[in-house]
Amino acid sequence: MIRAAAWLCTQHHGVFAPGGESWQRPTPSDLSSLVGRPIKYAQRLTDEAWNCLCAASLAHKASKFETSEIGLLTAGTEGCRDAQENYFRDYVANGRALGRGNLFIYTLPTSVAGEVGIVLSLRGPCMFIRDDVRPLPALLEHAGQMLSDGEAGAMLLLWCDSSAAVCLAIDGNAESQAFPLGLESNPSELCRQLQQLVLAL
Amino acid sequence: MNVRIAQSDLLTAYGHGMDALWKGLLSGRTAIRPTRRFDGRGFNSDQAALIPDLRDDTGETRIWQAIRRVFSPHAGKFDPQTPLILATTVGEIEFVERSVLESNWDLAAESKPEKLAERTQHLLGLRGPVIALSSACASSAAALTRAASMIRHNQAESILVVACDAVSEFVYSGFSSLASLDSEPARPFDSGRCGLTLGEAAAWALLTQSDADKDNVSILGWGNTADAVHMTAPDRNGNGLTRAIQKALVMSRQRADEINFIAAHGTGTVYSDAMELTSFGNAIGGARPVFSIKGGIGHTLGAAGLTQFLVATHALKLGIVPPSVGLTTPDESARDWAVAKSKSNGSMQLALSTNSGFGGVNTAMLLGTGGAE
Repeated sequence: MIRAAAWLCTQHHGVFAPGGESWQRPTPSDLSSLVGRPIKYAQRLTDEAWNCLCAASLAHKASKFETSEIGLLTAGTEGCRDAQENYFRDYVANGRALGRGNLFIYTLPTSVAGEVGIVLSLRGPCMFIRDDVRPLPALLEHAGQMLSDGEAGAMLLLWCDSSAAVCLAIDGNAESQAFPLGLESNPSELCRQLQQLVLAL
Repeated sequence: MNVRIAQSDLLTAYGHGMDALWKGLLSGRTAIRPTRRFDGRGFNSDQAALIPDLRDDTGETRIWQAIRRVFSPHAGKFDPQTPLILATTVGEIEFVERSVLESNWDLAAESKPEKLAERTQHLLGLRGPVIALSSACASSAAALTRAASMIRHNQAESILVVACDAVSEFVYSGFSSLASLDSEPARPFDSGRCGLTLGEAAAWALLTQSDADKDNVSILGWGNTADAVHMTAPDRNGNGLTRAIQKALVMSRQRADEINFIAAHGTGTVYSDAMELTSFGNAIGGARPVFSIKGGIGHTLGAAGLTQFLVATHALKLGIVPPSVGLTTPDESARDWAVAKSKSNGSMQLALSTNSGFGGVNTAMLLGTGGAE
């Protein structure tokens, strides 16, 4: 079941936690205040990585999971593509002889998830899984199977683009039908729906 | 329910097919060669394991050429409804290179892994669900575990897993900047090892439901974990991989002392190889024969897990553990484990295959004949 859904976009952020505390607020300029943990390489994170890290931190905190065997699945690629262009543009601009390792290591689709996992000490499966037709429902299915198989005790699912991120925290059986939102929506639209849901409580 | 490989094929620097790869590994001769593709770039190595006859002047990416070639004998042979999982680290990254070099920003979007998955689906005439999966250098191993899980959960009867990655300037320059490349062909588990060699490969496997069967090799269990320690360096205590192996043992209901051999990730970097051996000791205890295929075909990144898994399956069927090409003097920590020469043992039934990657990801799979219902 979905324990919590957290979101962050340029205007607002918050948490919808069925059976728990739900809230929403304007997004602050200093996003590190939303993470509440040390971020070793904060200066290297792309905008999408910051959005994901904040959404994941909020969902993780709201879920009150008692296990560290938490998996992390992600379905966004825009930030990874930005990181790839940044790395290669820098490499070309510097004579095409030596790249910057600290840019290169963020060029994978799982780079953001890896950084989030380190900050939140997530020790379960970490994968980018993208079904282009139904990204978030597909993530829920895979997460449900991983929980059922005993691969993880809980899962965080990141659905993001360059301006918005949503993170679902789930455990047990993933009952997406019980979630009162359109999981087929894009991240920005899902952020808007979550805010409306919380405002209506 | 078990999950077995019904069909498979692969393309590596040794050539097309398992026979070419197997003969290459058993010959002890590496397919890694100096390449002139990056002349003048100032990288700290010129070694690579390239698929023969891929071209850089056709306008097609090397990955796409490799995928077309590995599927060329098999066109039209798949049920159109078969789901597809495509595993890669970064997809067709040459599009990003070209977008920067040609200032054509639309090209970069073509590099997305999901775009490559979609093109592969169209190439094969498939109409079922299609998924792109990336988990760094454990990508195709993780894809195998997802496919096995989906089949076990009756989401599909069969699933096609495709894995591919190519040697690009983007990736070569990146690993060079991290000082991860050996100036000689990689020597996994050797006392003189000092880095990896990049390679390229395309591989596919059609996974299907299977009852317990002495004649078929099945995926019996798996574990996926993260170290949560460092973006590039492995956990020196090997805790993440140890937990992945332990999860695979629990899921498969097999005992560690029943493992006959280990197909290791074995990149040839000092810390990664050491981490793996530490994990094997932690999770398994007594030494088992360990081999790595990366001294032969290089580190094929997103294709590494599936390629290595297919070699392990072949080894299990033949009862032969292949050698780690390039290994001459095993590191002290590898002395009782790493296999420098092939070993024959006709009664092998259980193998472990492991992969790890950036972000501290780890995948362990147990494969064997028979298995629990």
